[in-house]
Amino acid sequence: MSVSLPRLAAAAAASGAGQAAGWPGGRSAAVGALQAALAAEHAAVYGYGVAGAHLSGTRQRAAARDWQIHQASRDALAAMITALGAQPVAAAAAYQLPFRVSTGRDAVMLAAFLEDRVAAAYLGVVALSEPRLRLFGARALESAALRATGWRGQTLAFPGLEAPAPGPVPAGPGASQPAPSAPAAGPSTPGPSSPGPASQSPPPPTGPAGA
Amino acid sequence: MVREATRRGVLAAAMSLPLVATGCKGVGALGTPPRQQPDVAVVRDAIDAETLMISRYNAVLAAVPALAGSLDPLLGQHREHLARLRARLIEPSTATRPERPSTVAASPAGVPGTPAAARAYLRHAEQAAAQTLLGKLTAAPPSLAQLLASIAASEATHALVLGPGRAA
Repeated sequence: MSVSLPRLAAAAAASGAGQAAGWPGGRSAAVGALQAALAAEHAAVYGYGVAGAHLSGTRQRAAARDWQIHQASRDALAAMITALGAQPVAAAAAYQLPFRVSTGRDAVMLAAFLEDRVAAAYLGVVALSEPRLRLFGARALESAALRATGWRGQTLAFPGLEAPAPGPVPAGPGASQPAPSAPAAGPSTPGPSSPGPASQSPPPPTGPAGA
Repeated sequence: MVREATRRGVLAAAMSLPLVATGCKGVGALGTPPRQQPDVAVVRDAIDAETLMISRYNAVLAAVPALAGSLDPLLGQHREHLARLRARLIEPSTATRPERPSTVAASPAGVPGTPAAARAYLRHAEQAAAQTLLGKLTAAPPSLAQLLASIAASEATHALVLGPGRAA
């Protein structure tokens, strides 16, 4: 399942030749999709920090694990973007949470929400023409969907394409399950949130504060 | 089907043209018959795979009704996948496809009779289906690739919740 990041970075760098290398859409499309994914990863790193502060025990450890995964994904994406000759987008100083997080349950739903947004961001990478980046995006989407399922306790029909409304969700059978048991996706499966092929990037899962 | 029929129609028309009329350019002037878009084949394969998956769930539910509570949501999501894929094909929904092998319609044989084995059976099927979809990604145009990737991710999450330790 894991994709070699160095190889992907090389693929991304090769795309620096853009259209000349036969990439329809080429380099700028790749940079745009990867930047959107990076923005979502930045937001996830911030959001998991908030979520972790409201969790304990197994769930806190799960949040810490996912936080680390998003940090690694963030760094990998930044390297890929740099390899393409672009400046990776920076994290915002703070992010506005989609809803108030004051309990463990809120924190679990925040984690699921963050993963939904990251999954959506990687769909933008899936729309790229370069086969390795497309597969990379698909695997990252899958990893985010697995983590979201672990937090939410429920599956979705169209991860990344359609997400439930943000916010504490009605208690379901899954909501009370012991946190995420999704396989740890390593750093090789970053998962930002990127827009569809022709759409503008959606606001990050948690928009920059004051935006 | 519609496209197939159209293509055959074009071919038939080309063949029956009186050759006396070819004083100019002949049959070639009609141009190449329209080819089926590669993504149509991808969508049809995905539709077949979803149909098979639904029949697997139905077979399991018939054999182990006690699993309904945990399987119904997953089955419902497969039906959503199928509907979304079918919407990608511009052809009458009632069209039949006699040219396709009828393997899909066949009910899966050898469905395990115990809950644990039935869940494992579906889990493996979900994993294989997700992997197959990922293999088709590069043959699809961008928006279809996104749909296939999303469905593959959904199936991977199904495999997760069907895993051991996730009681029915």
